[in-house]
Amino acid sequence: MSIRREDVLHVARLAELDVAEADLPKLVEQMGRIVGFVEQLNEVPAGEQAPPFLAGPAKTPLRADLVAPVPLVRPPSAIAPEFIHGFFSVPRLGAMEGE
Amino acid sequence: MSGVAAIADGVASGSAPAAAVARDTGERLRRAADLNATLHWSQELLDRDAARLDRLPPAERARLPLVGVPVALKDNIVTTDQPTTCASRILEGYVSPYDATVVARLKAAGAIIACKTNLDEFAMGSSTEHSAWGRVKHPLDPARVPGGSSGGSAALVAAGVVPAALGSETGGSVRQPASFCGVVGVKPSYGRVSRFGLVAFGSSLDQVSVFGRSVDDAARVLAVISGNDPNDATSAAEPPMTLEPARRDLRGLTFGIPGEYVPADLDPGVKAGLDRAVQAIQDLGGTVRQVSLPHTRFAVPCYYIVAPAEAAANLARYDGVRYGQRRVGPEGDVRALYRATRGQGFGPEVRRRILIGTYVLSSGYYDAYYRKAQQVRALLADDFRKVFAAGVDLLLTPTTPTPAFKAGEKTEDPVAMYLADIFTCSLNLAALPAMSLPVGRSGGLPVGAQLVAPMFADARMLSVAAVLETVLDATREVR
Repeated sequence: MSIRREDVLHVARLAELDVAEADLPKLVEQMGRIVGFVEQLNEVPAGEQAPPFLAGPAKTPLRADLVAPVPLVRPPSAIAPEFIHGFFSVPRLGAMEGE
Repeated sequence: MSGVAAIADGVASGSAPAAAVARDTGERLRRAADLNATLHWSQELLDRDAARLDRLPPAERARLPLVGVPVALKDNIVTTDQPTTCASRILEGYVSPYDATVVARLKAAGAIIACKTNLDEFAMGSSTEHSAWGRVKHPLDPARVPGGSSGGSAALVAAGVVPAALGSETGGSVRQPASFCGVVGVKPSYGRVSRFGLVAFGSSLDQVSVFGRSVDDAARVLAVISGNDPNDATSAAEPPMTLEPARRDLRGLTFGIPGEYVPADLDPGVKAGLDRAVQAIQDLGGTVRQVSLPHTRFAVPCYYIVAPAEAAANLARYDGVRYGQRRVGPEGDVRALYRATRGQGFGPEVRRRILIGTYVLSSGYYDAYYRKAQQVRALLADDFRKVFAAGVDLLLTPTTPTPAFKAGEKTEDPVAMYLADIFTCSLNLAALPAMSLPVGRSGGLPVGAQLVAPMFADARMLSVAAVLETVLDATREVR
């Protein structure tokens, strides 16, 4: 299927990504080509199946349930853009509260 | 320059102190500056690490397998004493509070971290043109690309600046640039090397991988970084890889050549390189037979659903809160902050892949794209399983469809760029070990051949490559 301008804007909203108006025509065209390309997979019949494949161990190994120190050379306060009274600080959640 | 073993021997014995290695490495890094292959390094750090090694008692130095060996790191592997940017504006100035497991293991083995190398932003690309700090040049022809996404590491090894380097693979990002630059590039079995501290792109595909000037250089580094790590739940419960004794020949081994990897329109130089490798295998007593991997043509489209989908999820953390240079949007709330940070911080290729990944995972399209890709991935993996079960020990294919292409040739056409990984990404999907070995040159440009082994047969693959390397003159024209 072809990709429309609205599709790009919709996924950009889902991905929390600003897309500049000037970039839209090229993105619509390139995403359309990529989606058209991956649609080749439809040539594989749905009934053609192999045993399920999982990269990595078949079962997730569990560590001992113990609290262990995290060996960081710098504390979170030195990494965070804003860190006040032991908390990470972000702008108000206005847009989310309105939904 | 000397290889890994010779450098370590010299530093261990004291005949060539680490301080001299550090000085020479700095000098070579300065001379190679035009390649734009490094994003960070400092003579001070090199000298500091070298001095620490030279102060150790000789007996202790001798126990360190990589003592004094300068190793370059792709800048998506986190380090506490140098920045890690993934060649992205969004991570400009970021310094990790911990070392990746591979970095900790390299340091514990006595290696000197030479520098952080340039890459396609967040390892997304096949030419190292998608870096926020400019493209990397091919060491033999500056108008061409070194391949990617680990192009900086490949270029430095090819230019003789370091004997070995780490890169990372998601779809061929070490084997493809290794082939373009004429060096050895090894992608281990998925789970063989810890991903703890490798910035995630496609978690079910990513694997820290190794470049070497020779098979021995790459194998020695891989042996050190391999082995289970409790900090990575996908790391295999396997012991570290140990090197096999050197082979004299390839008698008793069967090599499969999948017809699907030798299409009629394959570049003649690449085909001639493959033919040279086949001849070398037969001269060494190996058996070569044709095999079929029938779902091969679906590998790239499958990859370009799975990898962007995983990337869209993994890159959600760069939002200006958890990670990333914070930019404040016009509305002043947290969502505007996310959108502005991500919209301005990511480059065009990363934005495109996040959008594709979000699209194939979105409501109404998940089954048609993502679930379909999982079905095809299982079929691709099953193709390999059947071939190995039928008595084939290793597969031999070309690594890339062409030698290194010109800069700018594919940047406007993402699908053309994606097809540069046509012979490599299937092995990331199937989680198998694979490597590129230089086999010769075509029109002066290096050509590589790819070896593929069954799961966790990495050491066998390397021992086969090592004996092939002794009979292939990789600097000679293939035609």
